Amino acid sequence: MTDAATTTETVFDVRDITLRFGGVVSLRNVSMHMNRGEILAVIGPNGAGKTSLFNSLTGVYEPQEGQIDFTNRNGRTIAVIGKKTHRIARAGVSRTFQASRVFSALTVFENVKIGAEDHGGIGVVGAILRGPATRRGEHASDQLTLELLDFVGLRKDANLIASALSYGGRRRLEIARAIATDPDVILLDEPAAGTNPSEKLELAALIRRVRNERNVSVLLIEHDMKLVMSLAERIYVLNFGGVLAEGTPAEIRSNQAVVEAYLGTSTNEGAA
Amino acid sequence: MRRPEVKRLVTVLMVMAMVTLMTGESGDASTPPTTGPHGAFFEKVSYFGLFRARRWMVFLTLGLLAYGLMFLYQRYSPPVRKRIRTVTATPKRLVQMRSSRFAVYAVVIVIALSIPHLVTQSYWMYLIVEQVGVWILLAEGLNVVVGFAGLLDLGYVAFYAIGAYITAWMTGVLPAPPLFHHAIPTLWVIPIGVLAAMVVGIMLGIPTLRLRGDYLAIVTLGFALIIDDYVGNQNGITGGGEGSLTVPHFSVNLGVWHYHWGLNPVPYYYLCLIFVVLFVVVFSLLEHSRVGRSWVALREDEVAAESIGINPLKYKVMAFAVGAASGGFAGVLSAGLVGNINPTMFQYQASINILILVIFGGMGSIWGVALGAVFVQVITSYMDNYQPWGFQINDLYMYIGALLIIMMIFRPAGLMPSRRRRREIKDFEETGEGHLDEVLTGDEI
Amino acid sequence: MGFAHFWLSGFDQIRVSFWAYLFVGLQNGALYAMIAVGYTLVYGVLGLINFAHGDVFMWGGFGAAFLTRGILGPSVATGWATVGLVFAGLIMGGLVSILVAVGVERVAYRPLRRRHAPKLAFLISAIGASYFLETLAGKEFGYGTNLFPAQVFPVGQTMFTVFNTPVRTLTIITVVAGAATLVVADRLVRATKLGRGIRAVAQDSETSSLMGVNIEKTITLTFIVGGALAGAAGFMYSLQSGIEWNSGVELGIYAFTAAVLGGIGNLRGAALGGMVIGLFGSFAVPFAFEGNTQWVEIYTFLILIGVLIFRPTGILGEKLGRTA
Repeated sequence: MTDAATTTETVFDVRDITLRFGGVVSLRNVSMHMNRGEILAVIGPNGAGKTSLFNSLTGVYEPQEGQIDFTNRNGRTIAVIGKKTHRIARAGVSRTFQASRVFSALTVFENVKIGAEDHGGIGVVGAILRGPATRRGEHASDQLTLELLDFVGLRKDANLIASALSYGGRRRLEIARAIATDPDVILLDEPAAGTNPSEKLELAALIRRVRNERNVSVLLIEHDMKLVMSLAERIYVLNFGGVLAEGTPAEIRSNQAVVEAYLGTSTNEGAA
Repeated sequence: MRRPEVKRLVTVLMVMAMVTLMTGESGDASTPPTTGPHGAFFEKVSYFGLFRARRWMVFLTLGLLAYGLMFLYQRYSPPVRKRIRTVTATPKRLVQMRSSRFAVYAVVIVIALSIPHLVTQSYWMYLIVEQVGVWILLAEGLNVVVGFAGLLDLGYVAFYAIGAYITAWMTGVLPAPPLFHHAIPTLWVIPIGVLAAMVVGIMLGIPTLRLRGDYLAIVTLGFALIIDDYVGNQNGITGGGEGSLTVPHFSVNLGVWHYHWGLNPVPYYYLCLIFVVLFVVVFSLLEHSRVGRSWVALREDEVAAESIGINPLKYKVMAFAVGAASGGFAGVLSAGLVGNINPTMFQYQASINILILVIFGGMGSIWGVALGAVFVQVITSYMDNYQPWGFQINDLYMYIGALLIIMMIFRPAGLMPSRRRRREIKDFEETGEGHLDEVLTGDEI
Repeated sequence: MGFAHFWLSGFDQIRVSFWAYLFVGLQNGALYAMIAVGYTLVYGVLGLINFAHGDVFMWGGFGAAFLTRGILGPSVATGWATVGLVFAGLIMGGLVSILVAVGVERVAYRPLRRRHAPKLAFLISAIGASYFLETLAGKEFGYGTNLFPAQVFPVGQTMFTVFNTPVRTLTIITVVAGAATLVVADRLVRATKLGRGIRAVAQDSETSSLMGVNIEKTITLTFIVGGALAGAAGFMYSLQSGIEWNSGVELGIYAFTAAVLGGIGNLRGAALGGMVIGLFGSFAVPFAFEGNTQWVEIYTFLILIGVLIFRPTGILGEKLGRTA
């Protein structure tokens, strides 16, 4: 499959980015693209640059060279590099974290509601005066929150403190919060880390539903090959800061270079 | 030091020794260093006119008594504590219920309104406004910054100073002539003072609020020190060390209605009360709004908050500005009440004093902070005025310092913490997880 | 007085009394450097600004002053007696400060570490400890007291003259003692096992403890080293200006500025920063408006703020790194 970025609608267009930290080169001339509506996976051995790529897409890191364009569903394109994380988030890029960073002391409901609320503008006056516009906004975000809690199956735990949730519950909560911002794309950072096989199945199902029902494109970093192969529609393989391969799961699985890069690929597939 | 009982005994005795020292005689320049401690331990003091004993004996006895009580408490108390908990459970739940909240507010308002009738001496009334009322305003303002947004601002007193000096300036009692050479009535300075403080808050916040927690503390402290030095020196503008001439008292002249606040503190009390209620209501509305929730999110986990589109700098600067408003008003009120504005009122220690009120009452808790302010200020005034056991006003900080340490160890949530804060701290302590830390340090992923 | 005139006259004053300003700057710089080491080491290891460190310095000063007065009384020492007493003062100051520093660590910080308290709690506890130490000293020794140690050498004695400027004995002693103690501390942190432990814990406390470094001992050692230097500085400061209950406040801030300037966590940086701040403070005196030395304070605080905002890693950078 070639980089036919212009035929389908492109969400992310990453062109030749290089990311350096002092003397270490994390990403070297990396180019990739992401199509709207796909479930895309980025895999690679440890230290390959997956997290660096991730963080570059969300504005945490700023590549010294290259360009990253993000296009939302309305067709507006912004340049990601040089923008602050929260701006990129508001443009439509959501993410989860490897160790679920939910707001521990808030309730499940409050966690999602914060995501659902609009954080633009100066809210102070509205907060004090509580006019009809503010109240309508509150009502809307309440509705969305309930809807999303239903979606991830946490409705009954709505008033529970987030820290009281199980590990899997917190993961689902984080996803709900991330979707609450009504993003175009959601970046999942090792969503399957620390999960058991049945949880993995549920997670895969949830991710598919996120894409199918909420209309959100999905990009994930993952180490679990089984999950990646079954879930992703397209895969990028990184190694030593560069793109090693790209293709469908079938293509990647039969790619000799990829197998070599991983060496222990066969054991990975058997495990989990 | 192995057995915990021995360890506890030693700790109790050492604490007692320290208390003995703290409450003992003070030394001074003419005496050798041992006089103070010597007197603290060996002075013969009579108690209740009944007997005389050396202080160390008394304190040793008290120490052993305390130890015994602690021992008994640990051994026999669980059922007692359980009983207390069940008994107080119902009243507690009642108080926390929505409907009874208005009843509580009503009671508090009634008490507040009746205080001028209960306190007959003008002196105490004056102190209530100056020492308690003003400081409630300051504490609530700092509570927004520290408690809601989690920003350690050690220079908060600057907003207070701005409010006061702007008042002095615009009413024409500073060496520098007021705007347009036209002095205005003190009451009209209120919105100007508040606005000025907010503007300064924004200007100060934008460059400094990107710093992580401990550095922010130092930078704000640095600013406070600079202002402290500078204001005291600009004789031409601020009146230097002596400060301003007397600011005219508040007065209202609306043609039909005249009222002049004179020397009687009671009208100031009502003015202060109105604004305290106003600020408390506004801050409470903010707390339970989108803005308040964003502050909590930033406090909990700034990185995660950013990932859902919350702009940290914007909300932090907002917190600064909102908190500054009440500080600015407190400055205007003080100016109208006290009259003479001079730099000694605005030293950096004041910032720390305000912080102490906030911490003691419970960071983030509007009620807690108000109660904490009342409690601490009343006790301070009392001790300053009646000076038990040869108490000097400076010694107060010895107790405050010790209290801060003790509070951080045993009850960091404060006197009456907000429910959320209690959960945060409990959660943090139990799991070592939670991101209170990183919110302050701004650590990256 | 025009603006240009102001600057020109300032520089002119420096030109005239350059050496005098230099020696004062070196003397103060040595003091700041010694105190700064305490701030920088504790921050490197605990990630904590030890607000109470300035008061550790102050208590050391009082201790040394009292001891020397006890030994010598009203007489004036000369020759070998001077040398002996100077050592005694430095050591006594160091010991008292060590006691206070370790005491603060045990009472104000260790219980919080045990409880996994958030950073804010440490800061508040530090402020509390600082207040407590200051007012306890004020209460026991008198708020109006300004204590000088015994005359370990005749007051104002000058050792020699250089470039037409007299060099006071005090300056020599301060600079020499400062340099010596700083070198010892540097050696300790770099070359000894315990010292390496400090750096290891500063970088990564978890791994260090897994590798067998005793965290608690290391932390205590950090406070001891910082305390010793601060106490010695306290003695020398008391010889110069006498010790008051709040002597630790101003010097503490200057020393902290020095520590930040040199790169917090970096011992050599702290020493360098101390000298820079000391020299700056001295040479800035001619530029104080209306001769008011509070302006020097303002300039120094501006440096502090400037460094924190624009270059928080300091001149030499955060070498030691910090724990979470």
